[in-house]
Amino acid sequence: MTVQTERPPSGPVDVAKTTPSRPGGRRPATGKRSGAFVPYLLLLPACAATVLLLGWPLLKDVLLSFQNLNMAQLIQHVTEWNGVENYKQVLTGEDFWRVTLRSILFTAVNVALIMVAGTLIGLLLARLGKRMRLTLMLGLVLAWAMPVVAASTVYQWLFAQRFGVVNWVLDKLGWHSMADYSWTSSQMSTFFVVTLLIVWMSIPFVAINLYAATTTIPSELYEAASLDGAGVWKSFTTVTMPFLRPFLYATTFLEVIWVFKAFVQVFTINGGGPDRLTEILPVYAYIEGVGNQHYGMGAAIAVLTILILLGLTAYYLRIVLKQEEDEL
Amino acid sequence: MKRRLISAIGVAGMMISLAACGGDNGDGDGKAGADGYAGQTLTVWVMDGSSPDQWQKDVAAAFEKKTKAKVKFEIQQWNGIQQKLTTALSEDNPPDVFEIGNTQTPAYAKTGGLADLADLKSEIGGEWTASLNESSIFEGKQYAAPWYFANRVVLYNKKIWADAGIKDTPKTRDEFYADLKQIGEKTDAEPIYLPGQNWYHFVGLTIGEGVQLVKEQDGKYVSNLADPKVAAAMETYKKFQALSKAPKDKDEATPQQGEVFGKGNVGAFIGMGWEAGIATKANPKIEKEIGYFTIPGATADKPEGVFLGGSNLAVAAGSKKQELAKEFLKIALSDTYEGELAKLNGVIPNKEALQSNLKGNEVAEAAAPAAAGGGTTPLIPEWAAVENAPNPVKTYMTAVLNGKSPAAAAKQVEDEFNKRLAQQQ
Repeated sequence: MTVQTERPPSGPVDVAKTTPSRPGGRRPATGKRSGAFVPYLLLLPACAATVLLLGWPLLKDVLLSFQNLNMAQLIQHVTEWNGVENYKQVLTGEDFWRVTLRSILFTAVNVALIMVAGTLIGLLLARLGKRMRLTLMLGLVLAWAMPVVAASTVYQWLFAQRFGVVNWVLDKLGWHSMADYSWTSSQMSTFFVVTLLIVWMSIPFVAINLYAATTTIPSELYEAASLDGAGVWKSFTTVTMPFLRPFLYATTFLEVIWVFKAFVQVFTINGGGPDRLTEILPVYAYIEGVGNQHYGMGAAIAVLTILILLGLTAYYLRIVLKQEEDEL
Repeated sequence: MKRRLISAIGVAGMMISLAACGGDNGDGDGKAGADGYAGQTLTVWVMDGSSPDQWQKDVAAAFEKKTKAKVKFEIQQWNGIQQKLTTALSEDNPPDVFEIGNTQTPAYAKTGGLADLADLKSEIGGEWTASLNESSIFEGKQYAAPWYFANRVVLYNKKIWADAGIKDTPKTRDEFYADLKQIGEKTDAEPIYLPGQNWYHFVGLTIGEGVQLVKEQDGKYVSNLADPKVAAAMETYKKFQALSKAPKDKDEATPQQGEVFGKGNVGAFIGMGWEAGIATKANPKIEKEIGYFTIPGATADKPEGVFLGGSNLAVAAGSKKQELAKEFLKIALSDTYEGELAKLNGVIPNKEALQSNLKGNEVAEAAAPAAAGGGTTPLIPEWAAVENAPNPVKTYMTAVLNGKSPAAAAKQVEDEFNKRLAQQQ
């Protein structure tokens, strides 16, 4: 019932319906003409790839999480089942809960920053003239196209203690105590660098998505709103927002997933350090599992990570499922 | 960090390439046929910097001459090597022979990943120096062969020291400190580059204090960082680190201290002799300025304690070329090539008789006085887990350097340290 009240008003629902259900919408048409199996055939490559590349590792991971698998077992290929021992150890230790809380806060801060900055830039894109828009768009796409490891490496260089450009600039600007500042020396400064990197890499997706959404708003609606005496803010909240909402939902949902599992950025910048204080769940799973060669334990943490992520995104999944149901 | 990632990617790549090799080379069981081992290729992993190109070339040639088989050297990085090695040993086609750190050997011997080398020991190992062979023996069995040993020295920039008006190299810790201070005052160079996590040097200092990092308690190994002697070693480290602008939370490989030194504005650093090569590679002009001296101890008659780093050569239990692998070891560890390695790299060979190769070698002459008082981390299988990142000893060091008292820092990392020592094997 609560979902019902949260549902966007009628206009945007159309938008929401058409986006996620496009493949489904096509189905009846093709089905009638060329046999009912064609859509399944078309789905097959994607499904096969998913099962092979995601399903199989996932299954293996779940199996591993019930095993005592360390260096010796791995090298000698021995399988030692140990029931829920790994889960028991993880869930009763305080480390796991501390890391979980940290991951959730980290995700919340990052997603909030990404969404606010991304939305603002998206709206800016809609307002800009042709040439400036193209320039900005190009910049966004370039930032987006940067491979994660490359971007992380560049950030490492930027924020390097001795030869980093950031410290150099801060020093030149008169902030001399920053000349030899070690960005990776404390929890917050490490998170600052990581957050900056993640936000910078994620903004383009949100901005371009939101800009695309604004192009679907018919300009008559704004005219009508202004005839009714709506100011800038009023027309934003009553005309723009309802159109944007489903896009905001979808992008927030995706960003939550991406930020939550931002292993590469966190790991490359400081390996979860200093003193394991910036480990988020995927990094924690890696360090316990692969780093400490405690593979069963790492697998258990990974399974729990997936469950937590499912929990975090359940709300959005419910909205999507509800919409699908409405359509049928 | 970057390197660890690269090596992780490397593992993935390696697995694919190993699997690919496994499919089609059809070496059989590696036994010598009528034509020797012709057509076979032995894969040997050596660590970055441990064996010069010249040595590899010479050994490969001798090996090919004797066995008609080829040898392929693959260079590995120390960072993340344990994860990579474990994965490789679990594969169908592991590296046949590999270099393994002495402190890591017991753990791998225990996993069953290393082949028993008893026959090799009785054939060629009669003269191996007993103390150097210690790490290769686990539960009475010979699981590896001692290869070379080395300890750290001070590498210094002669020009900077001369500019500061220092005529002689220091003989005591206090003189060393005073010299560095003088460099700081009289030149604009950084007196010493000492990152906060050069933990091998720290282990050396604890050995100098006569204390180990772990102790036995109720039949279990636990952290001994709270020992006042460990604190004293850390205070020494801190005193010298304060003269450096190096990051307190990085080790000597990030960035490579040799490269920093190579820029020519650093008075000295504590490292392995071969790190001079890194400096020279970064800046060829620095070569003639590099000098070496023994790390001075508290008094002139006894040099500083040093970590006696060393490497063994082991054969993978899963290798299908056991015989050929042993042939390789016989050649690589023969007096000719063991001697050549000692000569080229200035490292301590596995036999006393070969030490004559070190005569006239600047690095070796600086290293030798300290070697007698050198030691290692405890040679127990539990130790390997401690070295996995994030190494609690490194965390301890950074904490002290950032202002914590040694006692508080010891307490901070104790849980993690003990957890690793007690880790299920």
